[in-house]
Amino acid sequence: MTRYIVRRFLWMLLVLFVVSLITFLLMHAVPGGPFDREKAVPPEILANLNAKYHLDEPLPKQYLRYLWDVFIPHISHIPPGTSLTDDHLINVKIGEKLWLKWMNFGPSYSSRSRTVNDYFRQQFPISAQLGTMALLVAVLIGIPLGILAALKQNTIWDYLGMGIAIFGVSVPVIVLGPILIWIFGVTLKWLPPTGWGAKPPFILGFIPSKLGPEFFKYAIMPSIALGLGQSALIARLTRASLLQVLREDYIRTARAKGLPERAVIFVHALKNSMIPVVTVLGPMFAALVTGTFVTETIFGIPGMGRYFVISITNRDYPLIMGTILLYAVILVLANLMVDITYAFLDPRIRLTD
Amino acid sequence: MSEQAAALRVRPEVLARPSRGFWEDAFLRLIRNRAAVVGGIIVIALIFVAIFAPYIAPYTYYEQVLVDNNKVPAWMLWLFPSMKGYARISDRYPLGADYVGRDILSRIIYGTRISLTVAFIGPIISLVIGTIYGSISGYFGGRVDNIMMRAVDVLYAFPGLLFIILLMAFFRSTLAHPAPGTFVYAVSQLDAKVGGMLFIFIGIGLTAWETMARLTRGQVLSVKEKEFIEAARAIGAGHLRIMFRHIFPNIIGPLVVAETLAIPSYISLEAFLSFIGLGVNPPTPSWGLMISEGAGVIRTYPNQAIFPALALAITMFAFNFLGDGLRDALDPRLRGTR
Amino acid sequence: MSRKLSVALALVVTAAMLLSACATPTPQIVKETVVVTKEVVVTPTPVPKKVLRMNLGPGDVPTLDPSLATDVSSVQVIELTSVGLTRQNEETAAIEPGMAESWDISEDGKTYTFHLRKGIYWVKYDAAKGEVVQVLDCQGKPREVKAQDFWYGIIRTLKPQTASDYAYVLAFVIEGAEDFNKGVITDTAAVGVKVIDDYTLQITFKEPAAYNANIAGMWVAHAEPSWLIEGDECTEARGDKWTETGFFQGYGPYTLKEWVHEDHIVLVKNPFWPGIPSVPQAKIDEIVFRMLEDTAAFAEYEAGNLDVAGVPIGDIDRVKADPVLSKELVIGPVLCTYYYGFNTKAPVVNDVRVRRALSMAIDRKALVENVLKGGQEPAQWFCRPGLTGCPTPKDYPDLGVKYNPEEAKKLLDEYLKEKGLKPEDLDLTLMFNVGVGHEKIAQAIQQMWKEKLGINVKLASQEWKVYLKTIRDPKATPQIWRLGWCQDYPDANNFTREVFSFGGSANPAEGGGVNWKNDKFEELVRAAAKEMDPKKRVDLYAQAEQILVYEDAVIAPIYWYTRVTCTKPYVKRTFSILGGLEHIEKWDIAK
Repeated sequence: MTRYIVRRFLWMLLVLFVVSLITFLLMHAVPGGPFDREKAVPPEILANLNAKYHLDEPLPKQYLRYLWDVFIPHISHIPPGTSLTDDHLINVKIGEKLWLKWMNFGPSYSSRSRTVNDYFRQQFPISAQLGTMALLVAVLIGIPLGILAALKQNTIWDYLGMGIAIFGVSVPVIVLGPILIWIFGVTLKWLPPTGWGAKPPFILGFIPSKLGPEFFKYAIMPSIALGLGQSALIARLTRASLLQVLREDYIRTARAKGLPERAVIFVHALKNSMIPVVTVLGPMFAALVTGTFVTETIFGIPGMGRYFVISITNRDYPLIMGTILLYAVILVLANLMVDITYAFLDPRIRLTD
Repeated sequence: MSEQAAALRVRPEVLARPSRGFWEDAFLRLIRNRAAVVGGIIVIALIFVAIFAPYIAPYTYYEQVLVDNNKVPAWMLWLFPSMKGYARISDRYPLGADYVGRDILSRIIYGTRISLTVAFIGPIISLVIGTIYGSISGYFGGRVDNIMMRAVDVLYAFPGLLFIILLMAFFRSTLAHPAPGTFVYAVSQLDAKVGGMLFIFIGIGLTAWETMARLTRGQVLSVKEKEFIEAARAIGAGHLRIMFRHIFPNIIGPLVVAETLAIPSYISLEAFLSFIGLGVNPPTPSWGLMISEGAGVIRTYPNQAIFPALALAITMFAFNFLGDGLRDALDPRLRGTR
Repeated sequence: MSRKLSVALALVVTAAMLLSACATPTPQIVKETVVVTKEVVVTPTPVPKKVLRMNLGPGDVPTLDPSLATDVSSVQVIELTSVGLTRQNEETAAIEPGMAESWDISEDGKTYTFHLRKGIYWVKYDAAKGEVVQVLDCQGKPREVKAQDFWYGIIRTLKPQTASDYAYVLAFVIEGAEDFNKGVITDTAAVGVKVIDDYTLQITFKEPAAYNANIAGMWVAHAEPSWLIEGDECTEARGDKWTETGFFQGYGPYTLKEWVHEDHIVLVKNPFWPGIPSVPQAKIDEIVFRMLEDTAAFAEYEAGNLDVAGVPIGDIDRVKADPVLSKELVIGPVLCTYYYGFNTKAPVVNDVRVRRALSMAIDRKALVENVLKGGQEPAQWFCRPGLTGCPTPKDYPDLGVKYNPEEAKKLLDEYLKEKGLKPEDLDLTLMFNVGVGHEKIAQAIQQMWKEKLGINVKLASQEWKVYLKTIRDPKATPQIWRLGWCQDYPDANNFTREVFSFGGSANPAEGGGVNWKNDKFEELVRAAAKEMDPKKRVDLYAQAEQILVYEDAVIAPIYWYTRVTCTKPYVKRTFSILGGLEHIEKWDIAK
């Protein structure tokens, strides 16, 4: 198992390298640069800007410089948190005015006061919190609905359960969000219409410091708006998969052995039927946790989702690279978890290689 | 032979039933599922509406009557009383008019064309590419599986939006009049032939099949260790035969279901692409676009978003119940039962 | 409530004490007095803080560094936390004294000597103490705002290493600034900004112009704290991050209390700001700026969590009909113009008759009433009325271009007859950048051209950055393209000349944009820049505009921007015409 995980980590590095290379090439191939504005920027100013951010260097050099900044640790006199170009995620103080620093993802071109690391430290945890809550909602709604529908196949419970699921998917967040805000935020005033209940600094980097009603007050509506749509997929997959598993021979054997129905379903059938569900949970987790543009905009949540889209329209190169690498890392890790979970769910699946 | 044995030796003619093919069997089972039948009827009705739209729709989808912007028919006020203070009435538009005075009902009817195209082509692309890819990966396992899945990982993290903007820049940018004979010209001709939807299909093609591949692989992994696969191997069945004849029917259930559920995501991808200029050209309507535009006025004129969303929901229900029926029908374990 | 009670009690106590001094003290009264006094002393009631909650718009404010700011939201906060040499009145757009209480202009009109006010100090917010404190220098004395600080700010903006976007405005007008900014010269002494003494700053401009004083007051020329940015013996250099929470230093009516990125900015009243005629002392104690998209912001306004919010276009109808909201609604001008430009060298639109016909066939009033709904004003020319030097429809009712479909059809028919074509034969494309609003307007206008002229215009849209490149690319500029322009400084020069004169922002010298040169136009705008008589100036711009939008019909102006805002009735405020830049120090909350 450990060897497997180590091997997967190595593959992850390869994946990240390939993704970073493709992204880098693509973003420079797209016309338009970070400093193009409505008012034509005089060429000298443009030259100044390009020089400051090393955009006038040949592409391979820029790419290598980026890799160097991200992967190679180095020693510096500049105190952390004072420079835009020398800002790192990990800073270890090793002397009076000496630090060992690692992982510099670069400054952000669209914000002239923040670095990509700042976004990782301050915005990403909020998106992660929202994403985790939404995933919980999706799973807590989806799996029970799916089980109910499968057990009571073709009855009113089945149709009702699936009806709710499909409703969740057909009403997009862009419609459901404002409706929820209108009802609970503006008219009834039970919940705050926008905002988020936690702000940096966070415990361990992403856990909010106070997990009380203040936090949940803000989290309920966006989590439901986002999670409801995702729950449909989980509900349907659970139902389909459970139906399939319930017809397997070993289930028949278990019943014949005289096991109580509850044990049959929840101990034997459910475990195996979770495989397709878990498969989609991986990418779903990655997508949710890295932030969703629409939900965060509608609910005014200061997360990172916005920047996945805006960084591209702004041609903010370090931020594009940063967000895509972040997403790649989480995706690969999530898929790794999924693959490991396969082995636990179905002992017949051996983790080869 | 003893008497019991003789009695037990059943007469072949009685027990023999006409042996049905797999697909014939499936079809008959499908028909028995009421919900699936309703779904199927709705889908057929939608196809009908899409084809005969010009005859069914009360008005065209592009005619603007600016002064009629946002007007609603009288009965709408009973449905949405909050509009009473400011909504202007016109009974000319059955479901109301949009922000430039185009009839919403007509636009929903014409929008069926775009949505159905996306709803059919999307899953086809995704299923074809995804299941084949996932089957190969899961079946062969080992190194092959590893490399293929890592490739999927890369493609998943692939900056799709970036690629789409790149496409936009090259094909739709200044080149409204590309020189004939160039590659760009050929692409824009192809685009025109499919009604301006080429990039939507490319977009779906780029993003949708990966989940399907992973799902398929997961399913294949769990099925391939089963005894009947071993048995098939033992009697000398080749890889291809095992994959398609034995594994495939056993895994198709969740795949079909997942695919039908992905349809709204194709529709919203299409809306997003239309929004950024890579989808259908205005004034061609699509439900996704209508919903996004209606969302902007949802508190003021809820009808503009709700009715296209309703159309979408009905379509979704139809495809899902049909999909469920298909899954049930195609499940080999049900074969020969009832 | 309790405040009134304590005042009443104090009065009673005072009255009682007076009475007791005159009359024979009765034990009861004395006892009560003692008890009452104790109560008043033990429970002092705090005065409620006046907090204003506003919205800046979605996404974080890009920067609070005056040298680097380009965004309206950045400038809004900067103008509250520091004051320029001159200050622009937000309601009249007139120039008023700012940090400079007066200035002398030399004979040749090029050298301005600014006399700074005394007694204005640098401050910062001390979170530990919970109050605003003065910044102390290395001898422990409070740092006063001096001419050196302004010199530092201007030079820093111009330094090539700073890579300031807006340095070009200063480089354009100040002597020696352009070469310094380009890096041709590195000696700061060659730049026309000199510190004469602690309270006197001299700026030498390239040319005499009416807008020089204006530009001298822009945010890029505000004073900056050199000790904080570069560091000195007792202060650690903060470098690029000097504007963060806990470090920010300013000197204006407000200062920064807290900046939680992406979420909000809190400004707190600066008690050390003495108040000057153009910038009074603030009455509101704290301003909270949220960073929400306009639909979310308006929902917060309706829920009572924001005091001011812009009305999203989708809600305008509802708000106008709502009994409560309609009273809180104000529609005011914004100094921006929306227009369609023509590539005057492209096929079909290279003929002025076609261009003028297209421009005249647009029913701007119908567009505003039915599609835009924000009370926008149909634009007859390019520069926005309200700018210094720009004509107004009141004084020039027939200037420029108006909706006239019959005339438009006549012109087009003339063209078609000459070429032997039918309207359907014309191949025209209108391009715009992606955006819901632009899409709506384009579709409506496409329809108008079809109905009134019989022309089928194709619509095309591009992503913003790609679009910007396309419309300035000589080989790719579309026939008709959409753009807008907002003021950098409120003068017609910034509009008419900077955008459309040859080499201007929408008329690049290499080609692209409107692709146009008219010597008479060039002459007029240059003369207008130098002209000091206000009436003559307006007349010159009027003539230039007539050429721009009618005679040569290089663009079709569509509308002049407005903004639609709702303000809670307890906020006493002014309405700025400067495009989103409010002077909140003049506001008050009466609850």
